[in-house]
Amino acid sequence: MRVLLAALVLWSAWGLALGEEVRLAPAPEGIAGDWAQPLVPLRLKATPAQAVRFDGPPLALSQWGEVTLGTAHYPFLLGVRADGQADLWVDRNRDQVLSGDELVAGARAPEYVVWELELQATPAGGEAFPYPLTVLWPVGRGYVYLLGGAPRHGELEVDGARVAFVLVDGDLDGTYGTKGDFYAVDVDGDGIIHGDPDGHERFALTEAFTVGRESYRLSRIHPGGASVTLTPTGYVPPKPPLIPGFPAPEVRFTAFPDGDPVALSDLRGKIVLVDFWATWCGPCMAELPHLRELYAAHHDAGFEIIGLSLDTSERELRTVLDTEGIPWPVAFEGRSWDNSLAQLYRVYQIPTSYLLDRDGIIRYRDLHGEELAEKLAELLAAATPEPEMAPAPVAFGLPVPILEIVVPPEVSLAAGEPQVLAVKLINTAPYDAEDVKVSVQGLPIQVELEVGTIPAFGARVAELSVAPPAAPQSGSVEVVYHYCIGDSCFQIEDAVEVAFALGEPARQPSGIPVGWILIALGVGLVLAVVLRGRGLFIIALWLVGVAGASLAVGILRGQATQAERIGSVLCTACVGIEEVRTEAPTLSPAEREAFAAFRGSAHLVVFHTPWCRSCPYAQALVAEVARANPRISYELVDADQDRERALAAGIAAAGKVVVPAILVAETGRILVGTSDLSARILAALGEIR
Amino acid sequence: MTLRAFRRGTQSLGILLGVLGATGIGMTHLIFPGLHCYACPLAITVCPIGLMQHLIISGTVPFYFLGTVAAYGLLLGRGWCGWFCPFGTVNDLLSFRKVRFVRALSPLKLLVLVGTGVAAWRLADTWFCKLCPVGSLTASLPYLGLGVAEVNAPFLLHLATLAAVVGGMVLISRFWCRYLCPMGGLLSLFNRVSFFGLRLRGERCTECGLCARSCPMGIEPHRKINSADCIKCGECVGSCPTTALSIGFSLPGARGRDPLRSAGSPPRADGVPPRQ
Repeated sequence: MRVLLAALVLWSAWGLALGEEVRLAPAPEGIAGDWAQPLVPLRLKATPAQAVRFDGPPLALSQWGEVTLGTAHYPFLLGVRADGQADLWVDRNRDQVLSGDELVAGARAPEYVVWELELQATPAGGEAFPYPLTVLWPVGRGYVYLLGGAPRHGELEVDGARVAFVLVDGDLDGTYGTKGDFYAVDVDGDGIIHGDPDGHERFALTEAFTVGRESYRLSRIHPGGASVTLTPTGYVPPKPPLIPGFPAPEVRFTAFPDGDPVALSDLRGKIVLVDFWATWCGPCMAELPHLRELYAAHHDAGFEIIGLSLDTSERELRTVLDTEGIPWPVAFEGRSWDNSLAQLYRVYQIPTSYLLDRDGIIRYRDLHGEELAEKLAELLAAATPEPEMAPAPVAFGLPVPILEIVVPPEVSLAAGEPQVLAVKLINTAPYDAEDVKVSVQGLPIQVELEVGTIPAFGARVAELSVAPPAAPQSGSVEVVYHYCIGDSCFQIEDAVEVAFALGEPARQPSGIPVGWILIALGVGLVLAVVLRGRGLFIIALWLVGVAGASLAVGILRGQATQAERIGSVLCTACVGIEEVRTEAPTLSPAEREAFAAFRGSAHLVVFHTPWCRSCPYAQALVAEVARANPRISYELVDADQDRERALAAGIAAAGKVVVPAILVAETGRILVGTSDLSARILAALGEIR
Repeated sequence: MTLRAFRRGTQSLGILLGVLGATGIGMTHLIFPGLHCYACPLAITVCPIGLMQHLIISGTVPFYFLGTVAAYGLLLGRGWCGWFCPFGTVNDLLSFRKVRFVRALSPLKLLVLVGTGVAAWRLADTWFCKLCPVGSLTASLPYLGLGVAEVNAPFLLHLATLAAVVGGMVLISRFWCRYLCPMGGLLSLFNRVSFFGLRLRGERCTECGLCARSCPMGIEPHRKINSADCIKCGECVGSCPTTALSIGFSLPGARGRDPLRSAGSPPRADGVPPRQ
């Protein structure tokens, strides 16, 4: 064991010695390329989180918040004066007093106010450093956005070339290296860091990046962002760029609902719009009529659309496909953002679309309306390529394993009977792993299991029945499979080492046998009817024990809290104040027209709870309204989880939060229940000036 | 202080607990030991039947509900109906006609209880709440006054249920408690085994039947002592001329807690409960 430990220490030291330290400094203006600043919403409250005195002018509205940067906490007050001017005071010296000189100069735009400030971040285990931060307040809202990320810039040398590197405090917590932070590297050396959330040069801290044929990972991050250490690692395929001029990653799916196979590569020679959308996305639905027009006008000339739906409800998608008459193929997986095609294209927002030329090369992205029509016409007018021009497969470099093998490094097998060894195989790539076979080496009897195909980004657990060894010994789990990219297929043989130990027979996990409580209660109550005298007394004691156990289990399972939360909410349909509405809401043509004619801007907040049966109706109706008019946005708030927000918005009767309820953010109008809801929403929108 | 006056005091406490929200205390996780709508604007406790439905709908075995109700049942049994439940008190106040209990209808309240649970399980809806007369009285009507509720079909259904139950209570004393209350049905399962109960000194009982005449539930306490339909209100204790009956805390199965061995012999002619 000591030898092993020493080897481990030496190995680690060697690894660190191999690592390259990159010194970082605050990023100069504009160095970070095209990536957007990280943004974190922060809820404001009526009172400060800690005792803070405000020595400022009288305010008509006071909202408090707190910025935490490492171990430093900065309370701030967002105040609106009687004349409507919004100001921000930040307790920069952290003396619990907001004085006049802590007022931050702001800039006002029609819809929001912005304040730029610089605070000191004090990460645990690191030195304090200046931390620039932007506070953005959408006027009238109960929250602000914090923007920034304090990017730190440096350069690393690969094969004699200098490559730009940026580390970003993505979660804006004043400490680098925490969850939510990320880094970006100019891997293609074009001088621009494509660091948007879907950029091919942006990486999570645990991700490795590849420059040329060398791959690196971050092995150490200074909490104050002074430096990072990079360590060479096994080759990792670079992320395919999703920017104009690069080939679009291959898309293959079975069209919904007909089941026709669709492949992007089969559409070479056509202009293709790859469109990520969902029925719940207002802007996507607003664009549909225009797409339908373009499709009808140019389909015969070689225009095709591939709709990749991020819906989770098959019923809703089917309804929209039927009512809207969408003629192009649509992919549906029902997995929202985890959709394999959305993952492949690193989609983080919808609508997201790519317009491809006849060679399958991305030419434009996120075009809408007239601009889309214009660029489409340009591409259609371009010369048709020669048929022998074969599509170039996306260059992913060397074949690498795409299945992650998850098995404990040490497996304890009880002597005697055969046991099940579970091996989890996770496909980390957008390609199917085919003819997967798993075998276990090093045990008395070699076992092999055919798993078949593990789909792109899918996972499978292979359960192998293994015989325990006579003595502890090392072995391995081997996995053989192949996968294809375009016309190239690769055979992979991969293995992980496993130590087989001899252990005690497996025990059932211990836990409270809750089922027995119900049986004991039932038996006790039956005996309470038939027994007399001392027997009845014994049963009474028995039941006391059962009651105590049941109560304890209920409390441990959070049912007491659940009871309080249920009691704190007035669900109008649950208690018979109004009818339960469970049908899908539909807007009449006149209503749809009336909503579409709304020329203002409205934000509807739908308060709901999981147990409220009419809430889905209210949610779906508001979604319909938002579809009818993109000027109307909405958000859903679980009043059970966010009771404070509901109370702050005044969604309450006699101290109970009422659901379903809709808050019109612009006017503060609250619409409770579901009776005549569309008419009431329309009337409430009419109140917005 | 007479037993009845003491009982009026505890019943007042029950009503007080039902409206304690008026003091500004918010909702707690406590389960009300009776039937009281937690949607009531003044409620600070959770309705056991409402909670049971919600927990079943959410797919959980309602251990917290079962444990609490079992604890309540072991403590007083249906004594909660007689001594604490506000809607029981309303029943009491409208008890003008003490008619004989129809035994065949006794399981009805258990049927309501099971039906409530099955409806919650299969239909995922709180059907009992939509019909509950207590909800009508303590939620629908107040919320109409507060402008949250309006006169619509569910409101009228609630009102109709309340009217029907009140009519039943006027015609039959403790009508709701006798035949329909699911909480009463639940507590009745613990009635024999609860620590609070009636005791009968058999040697003093002359089987005169006066206790049966005074019983708001219309049962014969000396024959069905601590039976599932006894709400342990103690009216029979006050009416017993020989002090054969007493009420209080005692061990389940103790002497005097079970019916007379002679049960089944015809009562004396002057002790027959009045037929209505």
